[in-house]
Amino acid sequence: MPARKEAARLADHRQILGLADDLLPALIAKLGATGLAELEVSEGDWKIRLRGPVDGTPGSGRAVGGRSSRAAGGHPAEPGHLDSGRSDGHRPPAEPAGDPYRTAATSPAVGVYHPRAEITSGSRVRAGDRIASVDVLGITQEVIAPVAGIVGAAMVEAGDAVEYGQELVWIELITAPADRTGREA
Amino acid sequence: MFSKILIANRGEIAVRILRACRALGVEAVVAYSEADRESLAVQLADEAICVGPADAKRSYLSAPAMISAAIVTGCDAIHPGYGFLSEDEGFAEVVRAHDLTFIGPPAQVLERFASKEATRHVLGAQGLATIPGSNGMLRDDLHALEEAERIGYPVLIKPSAGGGGKGMRMVRTPRELESAVKICRSEARSAFGDDSLYLEKWLEDNRHVEVQVVVDRFGHGVHLGERDCSVQRRHQKFIEEAPTPALGEAARTDLAERAIRAVVAAGYENVGTLEFLVDQAGNAYFIEINCRIQVEHPVTEMLTGIDLVTTQIRIAAGEPLGFSQADVVLRGHAIEFRINAEDAEHDFRPSTGVVERYLAPGGPGVRIDTHLFAGYEVPPFYDSLLGKLIVWGPDRPTAIARSLAALEELVIDGLTTNVAIHQALLRNEVFLAGRMTTNLVDRVGAGSFLAAAAR
Repeated sequence: MPARKEAARLADHRQILGLADDLLPALIAKLGATGLAELEVSEGDWKIRLRGPVDGTPGSGRAVGGRSSRAAGGHPAEPGHLDSGRSDGHRPPAEPAGDPYRTAATSPAVGVYHPRAEITSGSRVRAGDRIASVDVLGITQEVIAPVAGIVGAAMVEAGDAVEYGQELVWIELITAPADRTGREA
Repeated sequence: MFSKILIANRGEIAVRILRACRALGVEAVVAYSEADRESLAVQLADEAICVGPADAKRSYLSAPAMISAAIVTGCDAIHPGYGFLSEDEGFAEVVRAHDLTFIGPPAQVLERFASKEATRHVLGAQGLATIPGSNGMLRDDLHALEEAERIGYPVLIKPSAGGGGKGMRMVRTPRELESAVKICRSEARSAFGDDSLYLEKWLEDNRHVEVQVVVDRFGHGVHLGERDCSVQRRHQKFIEEAPTPALGEAARTDLAERAIRAVVAAGYENVGTLEFLVDQAGNAYFIEINCRIQVEHPVTEMLTGIDLVTTQIRIAAGEPLGFSQADVVLRGHAIEFRINAEDAEHDFRPSTGVVERYLAPGGPGVRIDTHLFAGYEVPPFYDSLLGKLIVWGPDRPTAIARSLAALEELVIDGLTTNVAIHQALLRNEVFLAGRMTTNLVDRVGAGSFLAAAAR
């Protein structure tokens, strides 16, 4: 990381936070709604580029972000039922190495997914916030935001059956991981 | 018949149940924990669902997780396998409350046989001998002496409030009895807050013989003979065979017939196993009933040609048994070896790691039920059973010869297994003579068997 003046860094951080508050939620909501693969916006010295889920189907609900279904032997997914044969044993971790800008909130249990009405694509959340729930035989288990960020594309829909550990919703990081801060500028 | 079955178990039995479902043309969903994502059952399954983390309490032992998984995948029945939730009558009840079928005895039957003491009473009343004991609790020293005299020495003093062998004392003579009762009373008082004691006959050098029964919903039951599970280490069976070398044909048939009559009369349903202790004189004492499929069920399948798991599923679905006692023919001799990931030379310490190479044995009468494959990483969270080698022969010597050949062929690289102790026992004269007792391996020590075989 190049040596930078403390004041310059702080100014940058303020600017990043400002952008995050004003611009990012709207952009993420836009990205989720349009199904675009990528959005780029420039403002002043800053350029923001947003990328949709890796397979380019934001918000489509299923098998997103590396949860590949098995090619052979599977049955077509029934409405409200889990994809069959989803466990091919090669599911990447919740935070794919190639995409350090977001983390998935995962299911705490096997059951039926219910998003919270007030949490939508673009909502700002803190780590530990309750963002959705999974109903297990009538008992509610909370889906917790694993990191602070902006709620991004959902990988499941309300009423979908989900399994333990299943990736449900992307949380887009507001600040890039520490080692990248500054380098992008 | 069911349309879709949730397999609520792991390891080799999950694979075994999956095969049974396929044989019946019933869809199956394998429920697995995060630690078993790469397991064979998950790989073989058309459909699998992760129900929780590695910790069995939150996955394989979690009734809500399993029932929720069954509901969201559209299953109408749950097969619990063995261990885990298989004998939990509370689980069976909750399964029923969610309009699912528990594959096993109905909840009300499980409840009737839940307590060992009550079961002994119920089946004792139906003519099964139980281990002789004192009539109620010991009142005083005189009462203890009278009762011990009546039962016959040696006797075991047992605290009423105890369990798992705690606070028990074996006594061989009337002279020892008085002081032993005194010690047991004070121990029981401090350990359990209850000093009531009773006596039970001490059975030395006994054998473990169990009878396999199947009973349908219409009260039609047959026995499928017995199995001898006397080769044990710390009460864990590791070789099972049938027929038992401990009893002659007439005695075996008599025991099996008494067992099936008693359980049918007591209203049992589905597959079950009645365990007996057999003493040196050949007397069989009923101990307990296992209301589930057992690890060693393939021994009986090899002898009878009857698929016990599909039978279990069909009975739970309400189908009639479809065969009678006259149709059951016990042919030849079968031996099962539990292949465990453990080190017999170091006190059977469990071993974990990656299976670097795996080669399965074959040939006439050789069957292997396992979840192993090359590259499989044995998770450290569950039991050490890697699989079961089951070998059939027209007679015991042929079965033993085939077993030695099969164990020689079996290759599992990357883990320490107990194959060597199996090979040692197959060359041991006590085993060859069919005189193994449940305490022999512990008394002599596994090391001695291994050393003797190496000579």
